[in-house]
Amino acid sequence: MVRYPAFFPLILLVLSIAINLFLQPNMFDRETLNSNMRVFLPLILLTVGQAIVLLGGGIDISVGGVVSIVNTILATRVGLDGSPERMWQFVMISLLVGALAGAINGFFIAYLRLQPIITTYATSFLYAGLALFILPNPGGGIPADIANLYRTSTPLGLPLAFYVIAILLMVWIYISSTRYGKYLFAVGGKATAAYETAVPVTWIQLSIYIISGFMAALAGIAITMLSGSGNAEIGGQMTLNSITAVVIGGNAFSGGIGGVTGPVMGAVTLSLLQNIISFAHINTWWETLAKAMIIVLALAVPGIINLVRRRRA
Amino acid sequence: MTKSLSARNIVKHYGGVIALSDGNLDVRTGEVVALIGANGSGKSTMSKVINGVVVLDGGQLLLDDKPVNLSSPQAAKNMGIATVFQELSLIPQMTVAENIWLTREPMTAFGTVNRNALQEKTEQLLSLFRGTYKTELRPDDTVGSLPPDEKQLIEILKAISFNPWMIILDEATASLDSRQVQRLFELIKEWKKAEKAIVFISHRMEEIFRIADKYSVLRNGKTVGAGDMKDINNKELVKLMIEKESVFSFSRADSKNENKDKPVCMEVRNLQTDSLHGVSFCIHEGELVGIGGLRGQGQRDLLLSLFGDIPYTGEMSIFESNRKLRHPREAMKQGLALIPGDRAREGLLYIRSILENLQLPSWAQYGFPLRIGKARKDAEAVGASLNLKMAGLAEPVSSLSGGNAQKVVLGKWLMRKPRLLLLDDPTKGVDVGTKAEFYALLTRLCSEGKTILFYSSDDEELVGLCDRVLVIHDGLIRTELSGASLTKENLIAASLGASNEGAV
Amino acid sequence: MKRFTISPPVAALILAVILFLLSGFLPNSYGSDVKVALSQATNIVRLSVFLGVIAAGQTLVIISGFEGIDLSAGSIVTLTAILSYVLVKGENNMVLPALLVSLVVGAFIGLLNGAGITFLKISPFVMTLGMSGVVTGAVIIINHGNVSGKVAPIMTRLIARPISQSIPIPGAIVIWLIFGVLMWLLLERTAFGKNLFAIGVNRVASKLSGVNVTGMNLATYSLAGLLAGFGGFLVVGNTGVVLIQLGQPFLFPSIAAVAVGGTLLSGGKGSYWGSMAGAIVLTLITSLLTTMQMPDSVRRMVLGGTLLILISIYGRQQALRQ
Repeated sequence: MVRYPAFFPLILLVLSIAINLFLQPNMFDRETLNSNMRVFLPLILLTVGQAIVLLGGGIDISVGGVVSIVNTILATRVGLDGSPERMWQFVMISLLVGALAGAINGFFIAYLRLQPIITTYATSFLYAGLALFILPNPGGGIPADIANLYRTSTPLGLPLAFYVIAILLMVWIYISSTRYGKYLFAVGGKATAAYETAVPVTWIQLSIYIISGFMAALAGIAITMLSGSGNAEIGGQMTLNSITAVVIGGNAFSGGIGGVTGPVMGAVTLSLLQNIISFAHINTWWETLAKAMIIVLALAVPGIINLVRRRRA
Repeated sequence: MTKSLSARNIVKHYGGVIALSDGNLDVRTGEVVALIGANGSGKSTMSKVINGVVVLDGGQLLLDDKPVNLSSPQAAKNMGIATVFQELSLIPQMTVAENIWLTREPMTAFGTVNRNALQEKTEQLLSLFRGTYKTELRPDDTVGSLPPDEKQLIEILKAISFNPWMIILDEATASLDSRQVQRLFELIKEWKKAEKAIVFISHRMEEIFRIADKYSVLRNGKTVGAGDMKDINNKELVKLMIEKESVFSFSRADSKNENKDKPVCMEVRNLQTDSLHGVSFCIHEGELVGIGGLRGQGQRDLLLSLFGDIPYTGEMSIFESNRKLRHPREAMKQGLALIPGDRAREGLLYIRSILENLQLPSWAQYGFPLRIGKARKDAEAVGASLNLKMAGLAEPVSSLSGGNAQKVVLGKWLMRKPRLLLLDDPTKGVDVGTKAEFYALLTRLCSEGKTILFYSSDDEELVGLCDRVLVIHDGLIRTELSGASLTKENLIAASLGASNEGAV
Repeated sequence: MKRFTISPPVAALILAVILFLLSGFLPNSYGSDVKVALSQATNIVRLSVFLGVIAAGQTLVIISGFEGIDLSAGSIVTLTAILSYVLVKGENNMVLPALLVSLVVGAFIGLLNGAGITFLKISPFVMTLGMSGVVTGAVIIINHGNVSGKVAPIMTRLIARPISQSIPIPGAIVIWLIFGVLMWLLLERTAFGKNLFAIGVNRVASKLSGVNVTGMNLATYSLAGLLAGFGGFLVVGNTGVVLIQLGQPFLFPSIAAVAVGGTLLSGGKGSYWGSMAGAIVLTLITSLLTTMQMPDSVRRMVLGGTLLILISIYGRQQALRQ
């Protein structure tokens, strides 16, 4: 089995930090670090969910749609002059919505046994359409002071994002050592064998999509707090980014191999690379192309490495 | 405390195919029951019904004479029934320890898996077979990297770890070497003493006579006989299995020595692949050469590399010219054909029509646009020559019975008039009547000047059909048997590793 | 689960007819005027042509199995539309070169997709999605500011207008019919087509029967790109204008069209006739929504829901317990 070392995303991460540092020497200043991390956090949250889905042998294309739905819900229901109570109320509702969206995916995939890719592709349209329905034109938003809370929080001098990441990683370390964690790897590795061993495959498959939906909702909340306003297309690009981050992070597409740490590093790396493009003062017209090529390259590298390995053997 | 499980009149079908129409089995603690039957007789289905993996369509299961419903693998496990599966139920990406204890991992107070306990318990289990492993086999080894025999042992250990009262061993010895089989049988004897019940599914008569107390024979989905092992002998068992004493109604009388003067069809020197460690031999035109040995010793690799499907090192010359085959197409150009071992996975396109299956390698010959009419005629001709029973060329191949489906696999190659046929266990899962047709066909092809090289896991087949047999053990040809030395006893001995360093 | 005994393309056509008849009840529709109904129906079919051509490449990659799909089709359409627009500049004699460029560029992008999928083992979904981003990036570069160009009269003449005064069938439909026959020939009467179905069902058995699976993969994705390029050429010939998002609205419907037409999303079975019927159904749904003045959001939800329903009927895989 190709045990793709979590080494690779680490090296990539260090490299991107180095290049970024070069172009933006004040990168580790509290202000800049915080500013960067709060931009990266939504993708990181999304990637964690996607990583777990991939581990379990699936994939979730609809995450961007869920992000958009949550954003539009908060922007319309809370509004610029909403109260903090209302905000927290709708944060809770958003988390439920995310889990529900995931459960819908999970129902079709785990119980009706449809293919994950095409199912979540269909629901991605459904969810994106719903977001657009809730908020046809960009507008609305959340109260400025709540947004500021997110933007400027630096407990003990470290960006809020650091704590979130730390909590996520600790939760993952715990989960991966529980029976559920073993079941996850088993189902992703070889579902038929897991079934014969009396692992509750269907319920595991359902759960990974609920987790993904939940994480997507968290990402939606984070990005709403970041931008402060509503835009139904906000989640559009994030799906491909989350998949790329997971691939960089070393999780196998077929499932059963990898973790969450690697993908988190992958998400930070990808975000840094996109940062680098912005800083390299490339012609605006070329920016989109450059960012897209980074993604294709990031996707290609694990494949190239395996190709070389196979040729050598 | 005696426990018993009975299966009565079990019916099971997969779509239109009837796997069991009247399956019966009685299992009691302290006994080993051998469940016997030819391939396709329903043995595996029976074990799957008992361990809850498939749902039964008719009949009942009785636990201590009370009806019981085994509705899932979990239910069977809860009843104390553990199975060693034919298609391993191991997760390749996980470790030995994780695989064995999956769903029953020792836990800590925090709800996480107790890794030390896991390690210890695994070591304890691994020690049961210590001394028979080829590799170091540690609890942390990834299962995917293990050789097939060790994977099988892990599967056995996994079943034992449930501490079941009933263990089903479904072709569990298929990949094991003789030492491992010996150790397993010692364990089985201990299990009997510990009041466990064992169902031993196998087609290896020697093993059955060594270990079983009772027998139960399935034929074409029906139980046709059951009783004590001491009341029956080999011949009678075979008769129950296949209604004949031997499938070979013709004799292999004519000496095939004249083939040595015929031109060399294929010569192989030092062929190496992942499981072959340097094989050399040569075959003359018109010969019917068999490959023997226990499954998994490299026979499959040999056939696949001869057909250009897998990479290899070494030299090969076909019809006197040296070749390096990189793709089946190149092999086909040289006049080779391969009838693969797993017909569903490797030989047929199940949802496509019989016509498309028969013509798959040959469409290029029909021009552009394809002359479908001519393709149909040619396909019908081949079907007729093979006595293929089908509703029509446009029907999907999935509508055919096992034997007829295998004929399609054969037919698609015969259409191309190959000069050398490679076959990987061609009569596996084929009913008796079709088997006889096959044997007649193979011998006829040889007398027409074609050359055949085939692997079979059935010793009778090899002895009955072949001019000579090359027995592979552990990646090398250890023995060559022909003429008077080609007997079942010699074959079995050679499969287990005895060698005569025969002529190459 | 019920088995459908009518072949899926026919079922799709029946669905289209039913939808069309139902649409007669809407305000602003044809009411009971047969002539208007006919002209509206012709218009729907004409509109379906473009989706239909774009769905052709999608049909091929989906038949080829292994979760084959082409998400770059939309962006290829946009790219080749712009290239044609810029190259032609209103000159009739530049039309053929523009067509050739569209085909070659599309084929090249398709080849890149095929290479990533075959050699780097990147999943087709992810590969083509990533490539779509790259192509869009290229479109932005070409398009920055405004492009200057014009469609040649002969293009509009052939595509948008009827063939002649006596035959009121738009040229596009005739092109589509010829295209449909060619696609049928490709799939059912060439070794390529037979091999395509074979690899869609079982790659291992195909290789062991001598099929060059790698070559087929590369050829299929290149062909899909080429067909998307052709689609872009046709689209710009019809509308005469280019937009950044010209091709994107065709992407999701192209996949849904293939599914409606009964081509199994797991590969190995299907036909282009089905995709043609599917394209008509989808164009009908979209135009119905437009007539009912539904916003884009509803359109998206309906499309998503439609695909979901379709795969629930056609796309269920084997249960864990048999």
